[in-house]
Amino acid sequence: MLAELINPYYLQIGCFVLINIILALSVYVPLSTGQLSLASAGFMGLGAYTSALLTINLELPILVGIIAGTLIAGLFGIIIGLPTLRLQGVYLAIVTLGFGEVIRVVFVNWESLTKGSVGISGIPHIGREILKTVKEFGFNPQNLGLQNNQFIFLSIFLLLLVIAIFLVWFFRRQSRSRVGRAYAAINLDEKAAESMGINITYYKVLAFTQGALLAGFAGSLYAHVLAYISPADFSYHRAVDILVFTIFGGSEVIWGPVFGAIFLTFLPEVLRFISEYRYMIYGLMIIILMAVRPQGLIDVSLINWIKSKVSKRGVKHGSSSEKSM
Amino acid sequence: MVLAVKKACKNFGGLAAVSDVSFTIQKGEIFGLIGPNGAGKTTMFNLITSMFPLSSGEVLFKGENINGLKPNKITEKGICRTFQNIRLFPKMSAEENVMVGVHCRSKSGVLSSVFRTKSQRKEEKEIRQRANELLEFVGLEGYADVTAENLAYGQQRRLEIARAMASDPQLLLLDEPAAGMNETETSDLFHLIKKIQTRDITVLLIEHDMPLVMNLCDRIAVLNFGKKIAEGTPEEIQNNPDVIEAYLGSEEEEEYA
Repeated sequence: MLAELINPYYLQIGCFVLINIILALSVYVPLSTGQLSLASAGFMGLGAYTSALLTINLELPILVGIIAGTLIAGLFGIIIGLPTLRLQGVYLAIVTLGFGEVIRVVFVNWESLTKGSVGISGIPHIGREILKTVKEFGFNPQNLGLQNNQFIFLSIFLLLLVIAIFLVWFFRRQSRSRVGRAYAAINLDEKAAESMGINITYYKVLAFTQGALLAGFAGSLYAHVLAYISPADFSYHRAVDILVFTIFGGSEVIWGPVFGAIFLTFLPEVLRFISEYRYMIYGLMIIILMAVRPQGLIDVSLINWIKSKVSKRGVKHGSSSEKSM
Repeated sequence: MVLAVKKACKNFGGLAAVSDVSFTIQKGEIFGLIGPNGAGKTTMFNLITSMFPLSSGEVLFKGENINGLKPNKITEKGICRTFQNIRLFPKMSAEENVMVGVHCRSKSGVLSSVFRTKSQRKEEKEIRQRANELLEFVGLEGYADVTAENLAYGQQRRLEIARAMASDPQLLLLDEPAAGMNETETSDLFHLIKKIQTRDITVLLIEHDMPLVMNLCDRIAVLNFGKKIAEGTPEEIQNNPDVIEAYLGSEEEEEYA
């Protein structure tokens, strides 16, 4: 009966949702200091290619590849973050978009290493590795009544779920601390923040680098979940998609990007039955939302409203995840 | 001597906003900086807090040259300011605004914040206590959870003072704290600044409200067109012919009217 419930197709969409949540956070974190970065697709590509190449060419374990991919992206985050400190708003957006394109063009043209626009296939797959490992310990998914590929996707999904929950928890706690207050102060008034003793250089580079680490991490996971990457996966379209998750969901509270990523990843799949019209509906929804709710769907007042409803009715009715905000 | 400004000059292109201004402030005094609009008072504040670099001259804080330090370093050294056009963090609560002020006197980083180590929780508790103590000090007890932008104008001014005091300054720079206040609020402000003085904080004050300045300040410097034209006790300033001319104009200067 468990076997009938687990459909690899749904699980795969679930995996993309979780990776997209991490990507949405990679825009949200720099944006919480007022830095609008479109470099997430570039950092994601750096993470993906680093991890893929290390695990294929040097046969390193996937975990080492993912850590290396994340750190390389973070390193580039510092390199890009420092000189762009003076840039604000759209100017920063343009520079970071340019950076993403440079990265993509390098992937296309450095054929000896990246196989150009053909892309890299045969990347070690996290799910298969997990299956291999558990089989070595004498565990067989059939014992649970699962087929191998059901087990593969279920294990990836659960792994990503744990990672995503951890990251949301991490950044939510960060935002309610001394560091989070510094971020918010810089976002609201940079000059005043500096006069109150906040080292804005440090915190802006920190936030930008955290965004780069998140995107690189998501990219490394992406490579090992799909087992195939090409430069087209990290193009301008990806950058805009990631941005839209955060803008659509709202960038005031962490639940905004999380909701945006979940909703906008599911939407095209749910609308699959109307085939080519679905992206029109997708686009229309974003236009309407930006016109009536420019701060995004989920903002502070909505969270407060949910909180007041929850406390009024008691906990048994308020099982929404926002209640803890 | 807490602060010594020596021959400070600041040029914006061809305009000398501040030229050759020198003054010193003794520990514990309330020092007034007055002058007509555009005299360079706020520019002087921006030079002291390093928001602009000096064109020439120097600023000494407790005998140490602080030219060219970043504004956040100046705050760490013990100089903090308020702004002429209120610059609170509008979407934050009053309490959070003051908590930001404690930033440079606390040190929890990312990891200790996320994993809430024992020292971080202790520090966070102290920050909150300090913030509430200061809110009470400026008369904003009961407003801790109110968003800063929803506070009344006079309350916002007092919140800015609390935020600046949160960084434990030895020298507090107040830029027109009484602007836009009615008489009751101004008199409350008078008592508040006197109370600040009793905490061993030296105050440098820019203000246009003359009765307030004359009652409050121990000494006053007068700027006009970027130059210091007088310095002394309130009585000396009130009787100084140059000051009277700068404020009221002399009869031959009809073209300025």
